[in-house]
Amino acid sequence: MQNLSELTQRLIESRVEFVLVGGFAAVAHGVTLVTRDVDICCRFSETNLMRIQAAFADLHPVHRSRPDMPLELTPQQCAGLKNLYLKTDLGVVDCLGEVLGIGNFEEVLKHSVEVELPYGNCRIIDLEALIRAKEAMNREHDLITVKHLKEIIKQQKQN
Amino acid sequence: MSDRHANEEMILKEVSPAYRVANDNGIDLSLLKDSLAKTPWERMQANDDALNFAESLRTAMEKRNAKFK
Repeated sequence: MQNLSELTQRLIESRVEFVLVGGFAAVAHGVTLVTRDVDICCRFSETNLMRIQAAFADLHPVHRSRPDMPLELTPQQCAGLKNLYLKTDLGVVDCLGEVLGIGNFEEVLKHSVEVELPYGNCRIIDLEALIRAKEAMNREHDLITVKHLKEIIKQQKQN
Repeated sequence: MSDRHANEEMILKEVSPAYRVANDNGIDLSLLKDSLAKTPWERMQANDDALNFAESLRTAMEKRNAKFK
């Protein structure tokens, strides 16, 4: 059964360093489009990746591109990873080492804001950076999201 | 190194950095296949869950924005 809140809660409680990016970040800023997966940009250090692995350990995490392959990271693998696309019992989480149009985790972190969720604080990519990232992705649905985000900025200025 | 770990490393290198779960049209096939594997009722429940999560994020952002106004 999908439970994206619990996935996020587990990341927060496991002290994973991450910033929420992608569709749910857009939703947080007010976009009304529907999305299904949690996209995060995170520090790709061994410590952080092992925290992600521990956070989802009992949720049968597998690599999305190879669902027959469970998540069993080794320190050697951590050193070479740039992205990690995961499927768990509670839903899908895409872990990105960098965001197109913004840069690596440190850069994304600089362009993020902190919000308070019922189970802890979470950082979300800010509006302007999200627009830059979506424009850089340049896919059809990203450009639709950009239209929404730009309208949100316009609305915020009017209010 | 075991065959399994060698294989896993190969897979991990394959998926990085390109987003291999999406096809050329930007459609996330992995998500689509998961959705098709669900019953209509399960899809509705997944949709409800996504909407609930979205609502909690929106509320948190509104609270934060109100504080910084």
